[in-house]
Amino acid sequence: MKLIRRKDPESRSPLDEIADTRGEATEPSDEIIICRDIHKWFGDFHALRGITTTVRRSEVVVVFGPSGSGKSTFIRTINRLDEHQRGEIIVDGRTLSNDVRNIDAIRREVGMVFQSFNLFPHLTVLRNITLAPMKVRRLTGDQAEEAAMDLLVRVGIPEQAHKFPGELSGGQQQRVAIARALAMQPKIMLFDEPTSALDPEMIKEVLDVMREMAGTGMTMICVTHEMGFAREVADRMMMFDLGRIMEEGPPEQIFDDPQSERTKLFLSQIL
Amino acid sequence: MTVSQPNPAAEGALPPPRAERGVIGWLRFNLFKDWRSSLLTVVAAIAVVFALFYGLRWIFVQADWGVVAELGGRIAIGNYNTVDSCASQNCFWRPQAVLIGFVLILGMAWGVAGKGMTRNIAIGAATVISLFAFLPYSWEEMGMDVRLLLAANLPALGVGWLLARYTPLSTYLRISLLAVAWFVVSMVLLRGITGAPGLQPVSVNNWGGFMVNLILAVGGIALSLPIGILLALGRRSRSPVVRLRIPLGNLRKLKLSLPIVKWLCIAFIELFRGVPLLALLFLSQYLLPLALPEGFFLTRIPLLRTAIVITLFSAAYMAENVRGGIQGLHPGQAEAARALGLSGIRTIRLITLPQALRNVIPAIVGQFISLFKDTTLVYIIGVLEVVEIGRSFIQGNIQIWGGADKEYFIFVAAIFWIFTFGMSRISRRVEERLGSDSRARN
Ligand SMILES: Nc1ncnc2c1ncn2[C@@H]1O[C@H](COP(=O)(O)OP(=O)(O)O)[C@@H](O)[C@H]1O
Ligand SMILES: [Mg+2]
Repeated sequence: MKLIRRKDPESRSPLDEIADTRGEATEPSDEIIICRDIHKWFGDFHALRGITTTVRRSEVVVVFGPSGSGKSTFIRTINRLDEHQRGEIIVDGRTLSNDVRNIDAIRREVGMVFQSFNLFPHLTVLRNITLAPMKVRRLTGDQAEEAAMDLLVRVGIPEQAHKFPGELSGGQQQRVAIARALAMQPKIMLFDEPTSALDPEMIKEVLDVMREMAGTGMTMICVTHEMGFAREVADRMMMFDLGRIMEEGPPEQIFDDPQSERTKLFLSQIL
Repeated sequence: MTVSQPNPAAEGALPPPRAERGVIGWLRFNLFKDWRSSLLTVVAAIAVVFALFYGLRWIFVQADWGVVAELGGRIAIGNYNTVDSCASQNCFWRPQAVLIGFVLILGMAWGVAGKGMTRNIAIGAATVISLFAFLPYSWEEMGMDVRLLLAANLPALGVGWLLARYTPLSTYLRISLLAVAWFVVSMVLLRGITGAPGLQPVSVNNWGGFMVNLILAVGGIALSLPIGILLALGRRSRSPVVRLRIPLGNLRKLKLSLPIVKWLCIAFIELFRGVPLLALLFLSQYLLPLALPEGFFLTRIPLLRTAIVITLFSAAYMAENVRGGIQGLHPGQAEAARALGLSGIRTIRLITLPQALRNVIPAIVGQFISLFKDTTLVYIIGVLEVVEIGRSFIQGNIQIWGGADKEYFIFVAAIFWIFTFGMSRISRRVEERLGSDSRARN
C-alpha cells in the first residue's frame, strides 16, 4: 500500500484528469497557507486571539493543546467552515473573502477529515467518494468510480465499496472519509482529531493511512494527540492554549526541550 | 460457507429459557405471567368478545344499509351526472374515464415495482372497482355502459402492467410525470370544454362525492410537500437579505440587514398554523372574493379557493415537519458536504434534504392523512363532498331515511379508514426500504 505514485506520462489515471481540470490560482509559492493575526469570536467569547503562522508546501503540522483552546476553530477557518473576523488568511494564493465562488474554489483544494467521520449515511461508500468529484470536478461516473476504487485500495478497504457507512467499523469509516477527501485531489488536508472517536485497535489503521499520505508530499495540518505519530511524521508542532499558539517548533524541541511551562505541563499530563 | 463448522461464537451460548418457547410458552410469558396480567387478559378478552358480538350483530343484522344503496353512484361523484349539472348529455363516463386512467397508471407502477405491496394494492383496488360492475342494481338504475366502464378497470390494470414491461414507460419518474399529466387532463375532462362535442361543461360547483375528496387530497398532497420544503428552507435561510443603509446625518449610517425571505416564510407558516382550517376556509369564501377583481377566475370557483387554502394550510405544517427533520441532522453532515466544495444548494439537495425527509416520513404521512380527512370540511361552502352528499340527502328525505345517518357515517368512516390505513402502511414500507440499508448500525 503505497500512496505515492510517480507521474508516468504513458499511464494516466482518472486522478490525473482531475488534476488537469484544476486551474492554478497564482504562481505556486512555497507558502501554501499564510495566516496573519487571525481573530475569531463566538459571541463575546474570544476563541482565536491572533494566530500568525505559515505552512509550506508538503509540510506536516501537528496541532495539539488542551480542549477548548481553539484548535478546531483554527483549522476550520482555513476552509471557511468558521469565519474569522480579523486578520488575513491566504490559501494557495487566494485570500479568503466572503465571495462564495472564492470560498468554493478554496474548499476544492482543501480536504478535511472530521473526528466524527461525517460520512453521508444515505449513500454507499462508493457514492460517498464519487459524489463531489462528479458534481464539483465534473468527472463522469466511470472516471469517478475508477478513482474511488483506487483510493479504496490505497486505504485498504476496496471490498467495502458497496456497503453503507452504518455497516462499517469506526476505523473503516474514517478511512472512507479520508478517501472521500482525497478523491477531490486536494493540495491540503486538514485533520480534526481523526482518531479520537476510535477504539484503540482502529487508531493504527487510520494513522497508517495518514503516515503514507505524508510520505506523498501532501500538505497536512493534523489536530491530534497521537504523540508517537507526531514525533515520527510532523515537521512542526504547534501547542495551542487559550486561542493562541503557545509554542511552535520541530517535534524534537517540543518533546525534548519545550520552551514554555504550559507545554511542559500539558505534555506531562498526556504522555 | 459450511454449516457443519463449529461456530466459535456459539460456544457457551445457551438456548433461551423454556418459558419463552412454543405457543404455551408464549401465552404463559405474555398473557398469564402473574395474577395481574392474567386478570387483565381475561377482562380484555371479555371486552373484545362483547364488542365483537354487538358490533357484528349491528353491522349484519340490525343496521339498514339501504341508504348507501340508495345513494349509489352519488357517493362517488355527487350530483355530477344529474340533469342540473350536465343537462343534455350523459356525463357519467367522464369520471369513469379518469378512474380508468389512474388504474392504468397504477398498473404501470406495479409493472415497475414487481412483486410486493404495490402489486397487492394495484390488484386489490382494480378488482374491487371492477366488482362494482356486478352490483345488484336493476338495469334502469345501473346501465350496461356504466357496468362495462367499471369492469374495464381490471383490463386497464393489465394494459398498464404490459406498458411498463414492454415500452420505455418503465421508470418511476416517467410514470410520476404521466400521473401528473393525467391529473391535469382529468380536471379538464371533468370540467368539460365549451363547444366540444360530448364534453359539455360541468360547473365545478356541481362536482361532488368522494371524487372531490380525492381530487383535493391528491392535489394537496402533491403540492404541499414541495411548498412545505421551500418554506422550511426559506425559514432557515439567512439570505437573501435586504440591506438598508439609513443615513443619520454627517457620514453616520445605520446599517440594517433584513432577512426578508426568512421573515416572510415565518409569517406565512405561523399565520396558517395559528388559525383553524375552518376559519381559513370561511375567510377564503367571504373575504378573498372581496379582495379580488370582479370576474377573476378565483372568485367564480369556490372549490378552487378551498383547494388552495387546504394545500397552503397543509404546507405550513409540512414546513415545520421538514424543518424538524433538517434540525435533527448532525451539523457535520452539511459541513462535510461544504468542505468537499459542494455548493449550498447541492448540499441541501443531495445531503440534507434526503436525510431530513427520510427521518420525518411518519410526520409527513401523518400530515397527508390529516389533509385527506380535512377535505371533508369543504362542505361549509356547499360542496357536496362524500360526507355532505349523504347528510344532505338524509336531511332532504327525513321521512324515509330519517334514522339512517349512523349507517351512512359509519360507511364513510370505513372508506376513509381503508384509505388512510393504506397510506400509513405504505409509509411504513417506504421507511423500512430507506432505513434498512443505511441505519443498520447507527
Ligand atoms: N459554534 C460555537 N459557538 C460558540 N462557541 C464555540 C463554538 N465553537 C467553538 N466554540 C468555543 O470556542 C472554543 C474553542 O473551541 P474549539 O476550537 O472547538 O477547541 P478545541 O478544538 O481546541 O477543543 C471553545 O471554548 C468552544 O466552547
Ligand atoms: Mg476540537
